[in-house]
Amino acid sequence: MRLILTSLFFICLFGCNKSQTEDVINFDEEASQESGGTLTNAMIGEPNNLIAMIAGDGASSAIAGQIFNSLLKYDENLEFEGDLAESWEVSKDYKTIKFNLKTQKKWSDEQPITCKDVLFTWKAVTHPDTRTPYGSDYQLVSSAECVNDYQFIAKYNEPYAPALETWASLHILPEHLLKNEDINNTYFSLNPVGSNYFALDSWVTGQQLKLKANPNAIHGKPLIENKVSRIIPDLSSQFMELIAGNIDLMSINPIQYSRVFPNRSELNNKINLYKEMGNGYTYFGFNLNKKPFDDINIRKAISYAIDRQEIIDGVLLGLGEEITSPYKPGTYWENKNIKKLSFNPQKAKELLEKSGYRLNNNIYEKDGIPLSFEILTNQNKQREMTAVLIQRRLQDIGIDVSIRVIEWASFVNRFIKTGEFQAVVLGWSLSLDPDQYSIWHSSQQGPGQFNFIGYSNKRVDDLLEKGRRELNKEKRKAIYDEFSAILYEDQPIVYLYAGYGLSAIHKKIKGVKKLSPPAGIYHNDYEWFVPTKFRRNEMSL
Amino acid sequence: MLIGISLISFFIMHLAPGDITSNESAFNPKASEESRQKLREMYNLDKPIIVQYGLWLKRIAKLDFGHSFASHQRPVLWQEKDKNGNIKPGLIQKALPITLLINLLTIFLIFSISIVLGTIAAIRKNKIPDRLITLFVFVGFAIPGFWLALLLMYSLGVSNQILPISGLHSIGYEQMGLITQFIDMLKHLILPVFISCLSGLAGISLYVRNGMIEILNQDFIKTARAKGLYEKKVIFVHTLKNALLPLITILGLSIPGLIGGSVIAESIFAIPGMGKLFYDAVLMRDFPVVMGILTIGSILTLLGNLIADLSYAWADPRIRRGLSK
Repeated sequence: MRLILTSLFFICLFGCNKSQTEDVINFDEEASQESGGTLTNAMIGEPNNLIAMIAGDGASSAIAGQIFNSLLKYDENLEFEGDLAESWEVSKDYKTIKFNLKTQKKWSDEQPITCKDVLFTWKAVTHPDTRTPYGSDYQLVSSAECVNDYQFIAKYNEPYAPALETWASLHILPEHLLKNEDINNTYFSLNPVGSNYFALDSWVTGQQLKLKANPNAIHGKPLIENKVSRIIPDLSSQFMELIAGNIDLMSINPIQYSRVFPNRSELNNKINLYKEMGNGYTYFGFNLNKKPFDDINIRKAISYAIDRQEIIDGVLLGLGEEITSPYKPGTYWENKNIKKLSFNPQKAKELLEKSGYRLNNNIYEKDGIPLSFEILTNQNKQREMTAVLIQRRLQDIGIDVSIRVIEWASFVNRFIKTGEFQAVVLGWSLSLDPDQYSIWHSSQQGPGQFNFIGYSNKRVDDLLEKGRRELNKEKRKAIYDEFSAILYEDQPIVYLYAGYGLSAIHKKIKGVKKLSPPAGIYHNDYEWFVPTKFRRNEMSL
Repeated sequence: MLIGISLISFFIMHLAPGDITSNESAFNPKASEESRQKLREMYNLDKPIIVQYGLWLKRIAKLDFGHSFASHQRPVLWQEKDKNGNIKPGLIQKALPITLLINLLTIFLIFSISIVLGTIAAIRKNKIPDRLITLFVFVGFAIPGFWLALLLMYSLGVSNQILPISGLHSIGYEQMGLITQFIDMLKHLILPVFISCLSGLAGISLYVRNGMIEILNQDFIKTARAKGLYEKKVIFVHTLKNALLPLITILGLSIPGLIGGSVIAESIFAIPGMGKLFYDAVLMRDFPVVMGILTIGSILTLLGNLIADLSYAWADPRIRRGLSK
């Protein structure tokens, strides 16, 4: 009791300077563009290393992406456009790419950006001593050279279709600061110098990272003056900071999107919600090297028995889509002609019986062995819920299923690498380049490689190899359309859903596009701004 | 002793499947298995465990705790200067002061509040104050900390914006004056310290209560009362002093706890302390960091035991006399 009194005393002592005027402001008012102001967001983890090729974690790439440029980038319709490159040419035999760099551009420390920096970066990422997981894509470049200060040429031994994509994801680093440094362990990774919209201002370990507008930014200075990224590991704490107005944006979950916000009108007065296609999909995968999953009828039966809409409604509250190919719905590479398998338990039973299974005590069995297996997934709430819904549907038609949830590192090493699993609920990202060689090619089945479900199909192998060598967009599309169709026909995995990315952004942030472009809501964040009248008085927080 | 502890923890840690390479890029289709193998060789993770332990022991003998396996490569213990004079801060160096501050505040509050509560409860044994105090400390003990934390954050931080919700400093902290900085930090610490106090009250206040009751029933207290001493003097000088003796042991044993933080509280309140550091290191299989924290923890445990024993002897003449015999 005394404790409560003491704490109340403390609260009264220190807590009296916060005004409560925020609710009165009408954030819907239009405002003219102006620069300045601070945007505050939150991250769940701290960036490891702002040299993205070394770091490999999401937080690092998110921050590094605002500091560094690549040669190319995606425009809002997901087509390539020049970033550091002014223009680029692919030779007729697809084996040489020539980049013409923009001239007169500077690093944030005033030094000129030249081809030397590009060459240095390529050498760094392919050097055997560099601790990067991404080297292999760039090792395919047989030779690279600078013709002059503003022309970079990369030569390949064989045509490599995803090449342009790889040059859109390699951050170009300044040679003059790194040439005498050990790139694996350099202070530069904590205090980088880049060329993009923002430069690092300060970094308080474990607490926050502050970016400021880079006056030398190669595409011009952004409108927002400061960006503060606070590190808040817990998502419910983040959400509270959002509704208290201490952070300006975050990605939210389906419950917050369709349960919390509709019921709280005061939140809708100050926060806008955005919905766009997310970047990944969740699937139900079989270990094709194990019985009974080598039988296509069994896989199809299971696919028919799973009600995908039910999973989307139950797990994502309807905020997701079914997919039929491993590409983002609505983008160029999606095969729109594939006919969906619909939920049909009767058909599932027929298929099981066709494979020789008979019902016994409500469980199908063949040669006295009941049809039963274990679904493995990692500690991820959505995946766990998905597994439970699948379990129930399969039980309904007579398949006995158990579920096991395991911590990530053990999951990967004990089960995936060794191939000691029967079925998994997992996810893949929906990549922008259609190349899926590392996931579906039959040569990629070794321990630690990504075709761990053991899929092998001669025609798919051919298509994947062909697709890698074809740079003509229409011809590539035809190749990957056929690949998607065969994959759907084979059902080595059951596509479950691709969830929407949901964002909540404070209304005081202006310039956010109402209809998000294919590249996503954050694509034009350099055009965002905070009108002076809505700016937070930073000292009063 | 230390070698035993470190050997066991080293082996248990390596029994867990996986290593750093399986987490950083395990499911990135752009990352090839060869490059992960390369990383494994660089970190000596491909050698037998006993060799790895030998290498670790060799370094630790020189008090070199090594560098984190994570891609930032920060030193585990203390900051290092590179050849240009830039300083890379150590992981424990950054996390420890925060955790230490919170834990010292917590222990100080727990002990001072518990002694007060325990004394009141003992004097008013089995009467209403005693019952209320027991109820309060047990409710505090039983309440799930994260749940109460979220409720308090919502009511004090969101509905009525009295206290900050999370973090250690407000935005714009660097521009504040010293006094405002101090107050700002204090405001941020109220909730986390309150939450971690609450669960600790029960044990110690009941300890004090029972110790007091036992001593109040002893003959020398009757003597003291019989010779006409004031009740205040009986309670505070004769009883409390004796009842506090066992607390020295508890205090000594809580020294290693000083460097451990609660993962849940630190995550919810976004405090970059030791709990989160250790937890993340275990999930990432960042062996140097895990071993560094465990080694320091075990040194402190041994040290805590020693200090407890010594101060017990200092405080209690009976033990000193026992020693000199």
